[in-house]
Amino acid sequence: MATNAAAAPKVQQLPKAPFSSNEKVQQAISGIVFVAPALVILVVFLIVPLFVAGYFSLTDWNGRTPLTNPDAYELVGLENYERLLVSGRRVDDFYNAFKNTLYYAIGVIPAQTVIALVLATIVNQKWLRGRGFFRTAFYFPSITSSIVVSMIFLFLFSNTGPVNGALRALFPNYQQVSWLTDNNGVIHNILGVVGIQENTFTVLAETEIARISLWDWLSGPSVAMFTIMLLAIWTTIGTMMVVYLAALQNIPPQVYEAAAVDGATQWQAFRRITLPLLRPTTYFVVTLGLIGCFQVFDQIYILRDEQTRQTTMSVAYLVYDTAFNLGDPQMGRAAATAVTLFIIIFVATILQRRFIGDRPADS
Amino acid sequence: MRISRYVVMALAWVLALGISGLAFAQETVTLQVWTGSSSPAENEAKEAQFAAFEEANPNIDLEVLISPDYGTQIQAAFASGDYPDVFTVGQFDFPSLQDSGVLMPAGDNIENPDDIYPGLLAAFSDAEGNAFCVPKDFSTLALFYNTDLFDAAGVDYPTADWTWEDMYAAAEAITNSDAVPEGVVGFSAAADRNRWLGFLYGNGATIAGEDGMSTVNSPEAVAALEFYASFVANGVGALPSELNGAGWNGQAFGEGSAAMTIEGNWAIGYLENDFPELNWGVAEIPLSPAGTRGTLTFTECWAVGANTEHPEEAWALVNFLTGTEGAMTVATSGFGVMPARMSAAQAWLDTRGEEYAAFVAGGEYAVAPVFPLGYGDFTTAFDEGTTAVMAGEESAQDFLDEVAEIWNEITEENM
Repeated sequence: MATNAAAAPKVQQLPKAPFSSNEKVQQAISGIVFVAPALVILVVFLIVPLFVAGYFSLTDWNGRTPLTNPDAYELVGLENYERLLVSGRRVDDFYNAFKNTLYYAIGVIPAQTVIALVLATIVNQKWLRGRGFFRTAFYFPSITSSIVVSMIFLFLFSNTGPVNGALRALFPNYQQVSWLTDNNGVIHNILGVVGIQENTFTVLAETEIARISLWDWLSGPSVAMFTIMLLAIWTTIGTMMVVYLAALQNIPPQVYEAAAVDGATQWQAFRRITLPLLRPTTYFVVTLGLIGCFQVFDQIYILRDEQTRQTTMSVAYLVYDTAFNLGDPQMGRAAATAVTLFIIIFVATILQRRFIGDRPADS
Repeated sequence: MRISRYVVMALAWVLALGISGLAFAQETVTLQVWTGSSSPAENEAKEAQFAAFEEANPNIDLEVLISPDYGTQIQAAFASGDYPDVFTVGQFDFPSLQDSGVLMPAGDNIENPDDIYPGLLAAFSDAEGNAFCVPKDFSTLALFYNTDLFDAAGVDYPTADWTWEDMYAAAEAITNSDAVPEGVVGFSAAADRNRWLGFLYGNGATIAGEDGMSTVNSPEAVAALEFYASFVANGVGALPSELNGAGWNGQAFGEGSAAMTIEGNWAIGYLENDFPELNWGVAEIPLSPAGTRGTLTFTECWAVGANTEHPEEAWALVNFLTGTEGAMTVATSGFGVMPARMSAAQAWLDTRGEEYAAFVAGGEYAVAPVFPLGYGDFTTAFDEGTTAVMAGEESAQDFLDEVAEIWNEITEENM
């Protein structure tokens, strides 16, 4: 009896390993095999080109001479970066593009986040009839091709298009705005209404950062760029709305009931319960918006005009223009511009994380 | 897994056929031919030409690619070193491609080179005059004029003796005429260097001298730009975007917002299709104060890749497409572009109409407005400056002085 009692627990106590080592290896292999296709595609089409671009940014390759040719290019170290950012003849090209992209981001990201949140809140209301219809309608712009939408906006905002027509019908004294070809900065225009011109504060006209006067730095997006921003906001609010909607629906209704019991108004409930609970989603939406805005290319490619070349140039478009320029392609410099853009987005995302991101100490 | 015997048999058949096919294939030469896609009608015409070549040469097979995104695609091909045997090259791409070593020098391979307009061949030759590819067609700029508006204002049509003053006077008369609708101007002037440089060359100016130093700010050059900008500055002309938001000169002219404009022969088809009721004529660009006239040409060539394995067959194809017969095909096919050979010029006029003789005449003195390799910064500054001058933000002298400095800087750097 004693031996039995001793033997039985012994057998029962030894925890049997869930998988034998052979099975573990097999599991590992099948895991790798499942992940491999996506991993291979990621590495080949994302990681490797990243490093290749980084390598070519240190050369003076023009993008045309065949690489099989032994003297296709020379390693020139950081000369491309120097000419791009510090001492090149056209150093204002990059900073101008950066300024345009910055204003674009500053304009689009808050607008699309706020409007998406508002729309998601509206669509989430139980009293709204036809919620499915509104959800689809708001989401629809995001799934249409950005090229098609850009071309329609080209028509809408042309000098004789519907937008100008409607404004003329509503305001008889409307002075026609050339939405797509006006180079004047929006902030310049606003200041101009108040009477502040370029020479009002001479310090603004004369100080130059990277060959661009301070006054020009403060120009705001041009009217043409502003139109492109409208297009971008209109297209992306759908996607962000869906993200916010999912997050809103995740908030248990008991929280709101508890708040109502405590005597909170709707607005207080929104400000103190909904918004903080949505912080991770907001962080996600803003990050997506940031990356998308700094990389803007499609809309610029369609909506730009030769006249507005300087004020609608984004950094991503500058990369394309430098690399595939008709007369003088410069792949090395384009790669340097692309790497610089990557660094800028990276820094912006990290900064953004500090301000909006998950803070574990904050509940 | 057991492979059934039928699968093995099938594999054996495929292998056998493949090997025998390979044996046959060794007797024919395959050429890779790439070109850009334009209108469906033009693409069909190109394919017809290729088919005709294959029929005439049964031992040569053509693998043709007509690409809608030709520029990007072929640049990737050049970069990898795996580029086609025969392909088209535009005049603006030529300097960098020739420098990259991907073009085979023509040497003696061009059929009857004296028949080709010298200006076109020069656009595709290096500094020593060695041609690298053969022009296949070209376009020039000429003066379009709206006969109805001229009649209404009582102004005589442009003639071959017209000077710059005549042109300005006509624009002024038409803009100020009461018989002409409000808002119509005399001249649609795009802020495009590829429209006004003709005046610069016509006035005897050049971009740079023999020593490589820039002459683009010479008095003649400044006068040319001032003349071109004066239309807009004085209200007798306007940018196309200010004429009811037109996208280009052709649209502004077709809609009747401008009585004259400077455009190329590609606009002929556009005007005939989109504005068939418009009555218009074409004249050569007016004479400058120097007594000469100038215009611009835009041309493309067929080139042979430098690393082709079949140079003889490749040059045979190029000569077929651009030779006397090929030029005739271009002439009679009814497209906007003109054949690059002088012998086919009359055939083009016969097909298109004698009234377009101004374009053909331009072929004799046209200049291809291509800047040399390495002057990308100059080109960008030139374009930005052109826009600024046409918008009235900068004077022509200041702008040309600035770009002349940039040119000289680049030249000195490269010395």
